[in-house]
Amino acid sequence: MNGSLVLTDVAVSAAERPLLSEVGLSLAPGALLALIGPSGLGKTSLLRAVAALDDWRGHITLDDRTAAQWGYPAWRRAVVLVQQRGVMLAGTVRDNLAAGFGLSVAGPPPPEDTTDTLLADLGLDRRVADQQADRISVGQAQRVSLARALLVQPRVLLLDEPTAGLDPEATRQVEAVIRRACAGGMCALIVSHDPDQPTRLGAATVDLARFRAPGSAAAAPPPEGDSATTEPRHAR
Amino acid sequence: MPANTPAILPLSSFDLAVASALVLVAGVISVAMRVGLHRQLAVAALRTLVQLVLLGYCLEFLFQLDAAPLVLAWLALMITAAGRAAMKRPSRTFRGAFLRGWAALAISAVLTTFTVTAAIIGIDPWYDPQYLIPLAGMVLGNSLTGISLTVDSLLETLDARRGEIECLLSLGATRWEAARGAIRTALRRGMTPILNAMAVVGLVSIPGMMTGQILAGAPPMEAVRYQIMVMFMLAGATAVGSIIVAWLVYRRLFNDRHQLRAELIERRND
Repeated sequence: MNGSLVLTDVAVSAAERPLLSEVGLSLAPGALLALIGPSGLGKTSLLRAVAALDDWRGHITLDDRTAAQWGYPAWRRAVVLVQQRGVMLAGTVRDNLAAGFGLSVAGPPPPEDTTDTLLADLGLDRRVADQQADRISVGQAQRVSLARALLVQPRVLLLDEPTAGLDPEATRQVEAVIRRACAGGMCALIVSHDPDQPTRLGAATVDLARFRAPGSAAAAPPPEGDSATTEPRHAR
Repeated sequence: MPANTPAILPLSSFDLAVASALVLVAGVISVAMRVGLHRQLAVAALRTLVQLVLLGYCLEFLFQLDAAPLVLAWLALMITAAGRAAMKRPSRTFRGAFLRGWAALAISAVLTTFTVTAAIIGIDPWYDPQYLIPLAGMVLGNSLTGISLTVDSLLETLDARRGEIECLLSLGATRWEAARGAIRTALRRGMTPILNAMAVVGLVSIPGMMTGQILAGAPPMEAVRYQIMVMFMLAGATAVGSIIVAWLVYRRLFNDRHQLRAELIERRND
């Protein structure tokens, strides 16, 4: 479907251990979909596959084109993953917010007041922007990493536990920003352990447990954060 | 140096036995102070003796036979030994690391050594072992340090900072854009020892090769010219070797889908 992110018969694994199989999902522009299921099921692995950071089997398309057809950097520019725990790059917070704009796929950086408005919406003082990114709190880093992703104006946002560890006020602010971005046509896949979050976001939910791969041991270590597939095995 | 230099005073076996007294002094101190190094010291002294005597015989043999295939075979052996040493040191590794280190060493050593022997010194025949072997030895020694440090730094960054690299990839960076910071840091680390050496050469110590030439009776200015050439050669070899190995590691750990394959990196336990 044009304009949509579509997953057809997708299988993901971690360290050659099958996790999920026959995953079928479709997200129209503006849609918000929450992925739920127990720890170790492969939720993070699925997000990484959709971001093309790890290999997968099956078909993942945006506008009926695969990541290979888009070109991988262009795909990831359109389908941006926000990792867990707010990964910060070297430099100041402002450097981090500009990180998406020093790249060959990038357009011109957004004006400074766009950045400041976004920070304010996320409950971050504009003075935070001038701090060294490795000095801010985990909660601040989580919100900065969301802002960094939103500034590149992706078509699809992949959010891995975007509010884990945030206080209720910050959580509410993050959710408002996500809702507003989706109202603007962006769609989002969100992994959350907060059972009420899908409702607050007005998101549809999919229980990934029904796509558990035969032979997967969902309860076994390592945790899903360590997802890593090996040799190429995805169809193009 | 010319073979008929008159100034060199030969050392007899007795002279060497006297020299070993110097190591003995170190051993006695180690025992007296309970530093516990005397056994290591004895082994190291013995290794020095055996390895160098063996080397001496090999070199005499090579110089006498003066045959291109033998010289090249010796060179290959040196490169392999250096490659093993280079890739054993980094705290992380991956399958195929040795081959890549070996290739980087081979290319950098052959390129710089033959540039020097053919284009600068102009030796005849082109494989003259008297020049080729010692020069290649110096090149390999320095290149291996550069390669080893480059690989150590690059693998450390790609492993420990995987999240940051994947964050850049997630924003649409190409694999090169995501990796170049790590590569830059690694090259800087690989080049640091030779840059330091170049900065202090002659101020702090007289380099070994120059010392040797002067002891053998060469006029200091001639020894200086050789040493300058050698320093430039070593800088070139280290840079070329480090860049090649960084490129090969990068191509191994990032695939055509612009993914970082951090799972290929193995940490060593020691």
